[in-house]
Amino acid sequence: MRFTRRVGALPAAVAIVLVVAASGSVPAFGRTDRTGADPASAPCSDSAKAKAAIAKVWKQSEKILGVPVLKPPAQTLCFVDTSKYKKSGPYTIAFASQGPTNSWASSSDAYVRYVANRNHVKLAYASANGDATKQVGNVQDLLAQNPDALLIQPMSSAIQALVHQAAQRNIPVVVCTGQLPDTNDIVSTVNRDYTLNGTLFAQWIVKQLHGKGEIAMISGIPGVPTAELQYQAAKAFFAKYPGIKIMTHQYDNWSPTQAKTVAASVLVKYPNLKAIWSDSSFTDVGVVQAYTAAHKPIPFVTGDSSNAFLRVAKKYDVKFALSAYPPEQCGQAVDVVLQILKGKPVLNQVPPASAVYTHAQLDKYYRPDCTDNLWVPSSLPSAILKQLKLC
Amino acid sequence: MRWLEAGGAGARDRGRTSSAGALLAGARLERARVTQTLASLAGLTLVLAIAALFARDFYASANLVLVAQQIGFIGVAALGQTFTLLLGGIDLSVGAVSGLTMVVVAVVSGGSDDKLAVAILLAFGLGIAVGIGNAVLVSWRNAPPFVATFATFTLVEGALLAWTKGAPSGNIPESLGSFGAGSVAGIPVPLLVFAGLCLVCAFALVKTTYGRWVYATGSNPAAARLAAIPTRAVTTSAYVVCALCAVVAGLLISGYIGYVDNQLVGTINLNCIAAAVIGGTTFAGGEGGVARTTIGVVLLASLLSLMVFFNAGISGQLVLEGAVILGAVWLQNRGQDGGRSVRRLRLWVEWAGRRAGAGSTPNDSKERSVR
Repeated sequence: MRFTRRVGALPAAVAIVLVVAASGSVPAFGRTDRTGADPASAPCSDSAKAKAAIAKVWKQSEKILGVPVLKPPAQTLCFVDTSKYKKSGPYTIAFASQGPTNSWASSSDAYVRYVANRNHVKLAYASANGDATKQVGNVQDLLAQNPDALLIQPMSSAIQALVHQAAQRNIPVVVCTGQLPDTNDIVSTVNRDYTLNGTLFAQWIVKQLHGKGEIAMISGIPGVPTAELQYQAAKAFFAKYPGIKIMTHQYDNWSPTQAKTVAASVLVKYPNLKAIWSDSSFTDVGVVQAYTAAHKPIPFVTGDSSNAFLRVAKKYDVKFALSAYPPEQCGQAVDVVLQILKGKPVLNQVPPASAVYTHAQLDKYYRPDCTDNLWVPSSLPSAILKQLKLC
Repeated sequence: MRWLEAGGAGARDRGRTSSAGALLAGARLERARVTQTLASLAGLTLVLAIAALFARDFYASANLVLVAQQIGFIGVAALGQTFTLLLGGIDLSVGAVSGLTMVVVAVVSGGSDDKLAVAILLAFGLGIAVGIGNAVLVSWRNAPPFVATFATFTLVEGALLAWTKGAPSGNIPESLGSFGAGSVAGIPVPLLVFAGLCLVCAFALVKTTYGRWVYATGSNPAAARLAAIPTRAVTTSAYVVCALCAVVAGLLISGYIGYVDNQLVGTINLNCIAAAVIGGTTFAGGEGGVARTTIGVVLLASLLSLMVFFNAGISGQLVLEGAVILGAVWLQNRGQDGGRSVRRLRLWVEWAGRRAGAGSTPNDSKERSVR
């Protein structure tokens, strides 16, 4: 889930340490196998058509970066029969949001409201303010309002029991910008594929270095699926290229300040790095600053897509590959919810529209008229961007 | 070093009696304090030795500059925290005040150097307000410092969220970069700022009446009040100093990275408390000082840098940081236990002496109030 811009580093890290200590392993988020019969479940059998839809997203992204097209990892993908949820409008959708704790989350909430208004949907909204515990209470309160559907931006698996309760009550549950341990209680998940992102970045780096060179990897918060799943995917891909030497793997809490400090230290120890694999543009900002401060050539970098980084990249002519983690994903999930309420089949894993690009397309995506807080490209209407003081 | 002598019940106790028991007590307390300081220095030496043996790049000039910058960032916040710890308090709102500073600078200046001075003044004004707020809760309303300052932390964070909706408009003015990332004669500005503040704070704590009031209030607030020390004013000043240091830390970090870094708030809190405690400034109050905090800051900054060289990651850093704090607190408690034992011994000697004359007995509650 997108802890990136949600919670302070320390509480998250402490929580992760506790979870890891309790389970003896990284939390099992991201499993995609659906097992066990459940009376509340929506039927989901593997579908070639669904697999083709996901493979198309992989292929499009890889073609943009000019890297070989890979077969997506095996997972159960299907179109879920939602006929049992069919009902007539007007609809009330409950949205358990992470809360507008930063610009990414504010944009996310704004886009959900925008899509809901556009479709004349009543939105029952609850903000967790970045607090996973508060979200549990929020979901309880939302379910008490008997919504037609429940949309969740999950912050922890603590809400799993409530998700099951909703499913038992025939309330369809859709998850966005995150993952919950997969059960039949969730009809659909709208989330940029972490494995795709991690692999894409690794593929692009291998291509730039012609399969040979020293690199470093910098992730966000240890144990958080957004960081770990991307890292594992990239590491697995790099393992196929013995010429690529991963000199170090560090974490920076997705803090530009810590990223700058970490990158500066790494630069001292490994002065010959040709690329730095990262999952975040927060990290990239820190990396660029560390290298420019040391008057060293900036290595290839990867990450998600923020105006802050593009401003820096333009100034210092940074070579990069980015894949957006759009704040619009939960808004797209509202559309999925509407499909479900109309009884139309939906994908169990929906790949949201996500821009993939390199330094060659910088000017296409960079918004010099907007602040560093803008996540690009943005589908939000200019009036809302202005209202949020992003442009 | 004179600074290392600052504070401590033993120093004050020494002047109160000339009995053999008191001398013994003073000697033991002094030994406990020296042990604490030596432990911090030994820890620092160990870290530097490990770096020399296993991570020689640690001593590369580029990395030393980096460590010096970290000393500056952590040190400035830790200096302020030292004042509250000396009073037996704690300030958990340091990170929030630093975060508030970053946001105020970005929003008020709008990224323009012309408005930077106004933004900085406003940040200091808000910092003072937060410090006074903490002091009112702690000193006037007798709220536990942990609860009061955590409430302030939450309040400030909430107010920032309501104000900015998580997206502070405007950027950090470029001229602030020379403050956070600049250097003078090769020495990073944050380190110079820290050094300057060290001198000012050490002078205030060691050479002035105010400093003696701080230690007296931290050691025994009731006795300090009886001695006509304005304890509420002293407490207020400590929390205001702490908030002002947090503002300076926020300015340094803003200049260093040039962005409002929301992710740092928790890290600043943890690091500044850890540095002060590792150095030997105790949670119990009245014990510690600038020199000890400085040792703790250098130790922590070196340790954090070394962890990057050892690929320990943030989880490793947190585990090690926690372990070092636990070790420091364990040493402190050993010292305090020893102190209590010594004080009991001293009281027993005094009681035994008086018994021969007046026949009074030691008072347990009074003994506890001595701490």
